[in-house]
Amino acid sequence: MHRLLLCLTLLASLAFAADLEYTLIIRDHRFEPAEIRIPAGKKIKLLVDNQDATAEEFESHELNREKVVPGKSKLPVFIGPLAPGRYPFYGDFHQQTATGVIIAE
Amino acid sequence: MNPRMASAVVLAAFPLCAVAFGPSDYIYLPGVTYGEHEIDFKSGAWKQKSGENPLSASSIGYGYGVTQRWFTELYSKYERPGGETTHFDAWEWENKFQLTETGEYPVDTGLIVELERPKDRSEGYEVRFGPLFQTEMGKVQVNGNLLFERHYRADAAPPLQLGYQWQVKYRWQPKLELGFQGLGELGQWNHWDSAEERSHRIGPAIFGKLALGNRQAIRYNAAWLVGASTNAPSHNLRLQVEYEF
Repeated sequence: MHRLLLCLTLLASLAFAADLEYTLIIRDHRFEPAEIRIPAGKKIKLLVDNQDATAEEFESHELNREKVVPGKSKLPVFIGPLAPGRYPFYGDFHQQTATGVIIAE
Repeated sequence: MNPRMASAVVLAAFPLCAVAFGPSDYIYLPGVTYGEHEIDFKSGAWKQKSGENPLSASSIGYGYGVTQRWFTELYSKYERPGGETTHFDAWEWENKFQLTETGEYPVDTGLIVELERPKDRSEGYEVRFGPLFQTEMGKVQVNGNLLFERHYRADAAPPLQLGYQWQVKYRWQPKLELGFQGLGELGQWNHWDSAEERSHRIGPAIFGKLALGNRQAIRYNAAWLVGASTNAPSHNLRLQVEYEF
């Protein structure tokens, strides 16, 4: 039991908050901007602002994220730290139009 | 050591830090997808080292992401002990709570709470609960869970039991990810069984998601677990397939 408490204490002590924030707007089932450049090696907070009336799902296998954002609402998606590279994402509910990419550099 | 590496080491150390797992049990993940409907099929079979008492089990359930932080699912469970026919075993109500935003902290956390009503009323009610943890390093994802289990209103109710689960996977491609899974039962939560009596299983696993379009997908994971202790089944094949819509 002492080992369990030690594990949990260590986990709690590792917590830290994101320090870089970007806004990603969903409008007319498209992401704006469709390309976001971020610094590699930094964790970021992506505030997804869905201005459409219907829900959208921010999804990316490369980023290991799936987040449903209801219509007319904003939700954070925490990403990284990422190695330099391109990380495509898409809106699962409107895959034909809602596409974008995060470029870590 | 960076925080994510340290987190992975801590998660991997869980087995070093008993719940009655069945042959079809799966590894819980802390994340919840709001508004997602799910039909969930699980199946598994194991064989003891002696070759006696083989057991297969399966379940089918329906789940729904009620909120951004709460997923609930109702299962109908079946089992087939060696030499017998498949029969209904229990109803199970699973509730998962996502406690932290994915990726906000080095370790994502959740909580699982399950209530099972076995057909055999002498078994009473089974309650299982525990914290769920997940972290990632690039394309590697690590999960570790602690599970506590107890029976209530049963003819014979052992004290609160402790078990663990873990998995490591390389997120290679959406349709195919590769990794390992492990499950174990340690005994009474504050007075573990002797090393010979504990049960540890470990083995390779595959994972994937097949997009069907129109907001539908098939998600799967399967593992071949081998007994890593004398008290564990020698072989356990398990599979989970989810239809998401």
